[in-house]
Amino acid sequence: MNQTTTLERPRTGATASLELTHALTQTLYREARCLDDEDYVGWVAMLADDLHYHMPGIETRYRRDTTDQVTDLTRMAYYNDSLDEIKKRLTRLETGTAWSEDPATRYAHIVTNVEVEHTDKADEFRVFSNFYAYRNRNERDEDSLIGSRIDIWRETGGAYQLVKRRIILKHNVMLSKNLNIYL
Amino acid sequence: MRLERIGREPEFSRYMDLKEGWLDRRIFSDAEIYEEELYRIFARSWLFVAHESQLPKAGDFLTTHMGEDAVIVTRQPDGSIKVYLNSCPHRGNKVCFADAGNTRRFVCNYHGWAFNTAGELQGMHEEYCYDEGDIDRKKNGLRQVARVGSYKGLVFATFAEDGPSLDAWLGDFRWYLDMLLDNEEGGTELIGGCIKSVISANWKFGVENFIGDAYHAGWTHDSGCRSMNNGQPFPPIDMDNSYHASVNGHGWEFGTEGVGDLFLLGRPKVMEYYEKIRPKMADRLGTMRSQIFGSVASASIFPNVSFLPGISTFRQWQPKGPMQFELKTWVIVNKAMPDDIKDEVTKGVMQTFGPGGTFEMDDGENWENCTTVNRGVVTRHEKLHYRCGIGRQIDHDTLPGIVYRGQYNDANQRGFYQRWLDMMEATDLGAMPPRPEPRLTGVAETRDLPGLFAL
Repeated sequence: MNQTTTLERPRTGATASLELTHALTQTLYREARCLDDEDYVGWVAMLADDLHYHMPGIETRYRRDTTDQVTDLTRMAYYNDSLDEIKKRLTRLETGTAWSEDPATRYAHIVTNVEVEHTDKADEFRVFSNFYAYRNRNERDEDSLIGSRIDIWRETGGAYQLVKRRIILKHNVMLSKNLNIYL
Repeated sequence: MRLERIGREPEFSRYMDLKEGWLDRRIFSDAEIYEEELYRIFARSWLFVAHESQLPKAGDFLTTHMGEDAVIVTRQPDGSIKVYLNSCPHRGNKVCFADAGNTRRFVCNYHGWAFNTAGELQGMHEEYCYDEGDIDRKKNGLRQVARVGSYKGLVFATFAEDGPSLDAWLGDFRWYLDMLLDNEEGGTELIGGCIKSVISANWKFGVENFIGDAYHAGWTHDSGCRSMNNGQPFPPIDMDNSYHASVNGHGWEFGTEGVGDLFLLGRPKVMEYYEKIRPKMADRLGTMRSQIFGSVASASIFPNVSFLPGISTFRQWQPKGPMQFELKTWVIVNKAMPDDIKDEVTKGVMQTFGPGGTFEMDDGENWENCTTVNRGVVTRHEKLHYRCGIGRQIDHDTLPGIVYRGQYNDANQRGFYQRWLDMMEATDLGAMPPRPEPRLTGVAETRDLPGLFAL
């Protein structure tokens, strides 16, 4: 009964009002700014205690192939993390010895195509978006990650917290040496 | 296969002196040397192409590369595995565009030439356009590799008609491989899916890092280790009781403390699991190997597969030109593990050695810069230092291979480049010297070794 809303879209979700859509769009932008600024304290404050942050690794398969590559959590994933696991990853940046982060990477998250829906729970909202995440570091290292996201955001005391996120990267071979970025 | 380049005057020995302990940087960047590697190493080695668990049913297939040659690996109705070029004999188009799946046939998109999963030409679109004598179907199947073999779940293929058998190729390295592949009843499997990323570095930097470079770990990965283990630094290395072992260019560097790699994975439940099965592992593989498993360790199979026993990342460095490789990452687990332990291992690997892993993130940039600095013509003629521990070779009663004492060592790297040189210069693979003379010839199963080796 207290289960969090699922990411799967039941199509009962009524489209949110202009005001609510604006509030959640601004929330996504604020989150993107935290990530661009490497303000991970600010970012973690936007994450719910029961967070599930999932970015599956998706193989190229024929249309007739029914393998569930998205919701099967036992398969390979770039991220399949709880809040504690995200925090554990982030502690690397506090050690002072994360060599490949110094000099700092320059990030820009561009978030678009935002749609907000109501769910069965009054305080939880399903939010669709696309992202273009650009990274540049040192002299001319650069790469672009493009994908789509489905989130569940929960209203808590006038602000919103991310409860679930599924990130679908559009790459097959990730055209980058690492993933020192959150999407 | 005929490789017209083989037999030309070999001249690769000038790029290294392994007795002195140096390498010429051009082997990491030069386009002509890279081209020779494709002919002399990748077109002649036994190359990893699949794990048996990826192809459980007849008709299951996956696509991969042998060097830069695209191949399809398929499970046959009789349970055997075939490997053939992913290229239609008509105009050369790829016949399969999926990473994996199950099928009854591969049909070329260009002219509809259709092949069964054995790679045999079954028919063509508008077949009436071919007059009698125009085409011999039997001669126009998908080009098969010369040989396919498997060792405890790992499937290998080679384009070389002649040369060593897979058993001889792996040789005494099987004694070490069994710690990964056979430490528990039932063997291993790969977790579903494969994550691929691109690193602008020479493929050999990945292989040599895993084959012997324990030395980088405490420095490069200080941040990764601390993040996974509540701020604790890298476990100390015991130089008296840790080793490098090199066999035919393969290599395993390891401690004997039993817990280091398990600690680095940062998943206490996985540590508990292995502690629980360790007595059985000792019955199965002998005390020595049960103490090595789980220690700080890393390993590579010549030429381009690596793994961390205990951390359970399993990967292949696929060459894509002299200054780029594609990294394929899997997670390897014991089939007998309960599902929750498999999940713990999978999460642990992706948090440490996936592209977003706390360890992995600091490796790629090092290898890229080791490679790309060689665009400078003065820089590329400088030598690189590979002399660490050069005087520490020992004879060991239990450990097979060329063994050096002390985990911080360049010994396995030197062993890898020695084999690289052997293959680059060999006209006849069968005439390559074993490195070293094998102890286990005729031993089919290292679990059954009597006395000495089963200690």
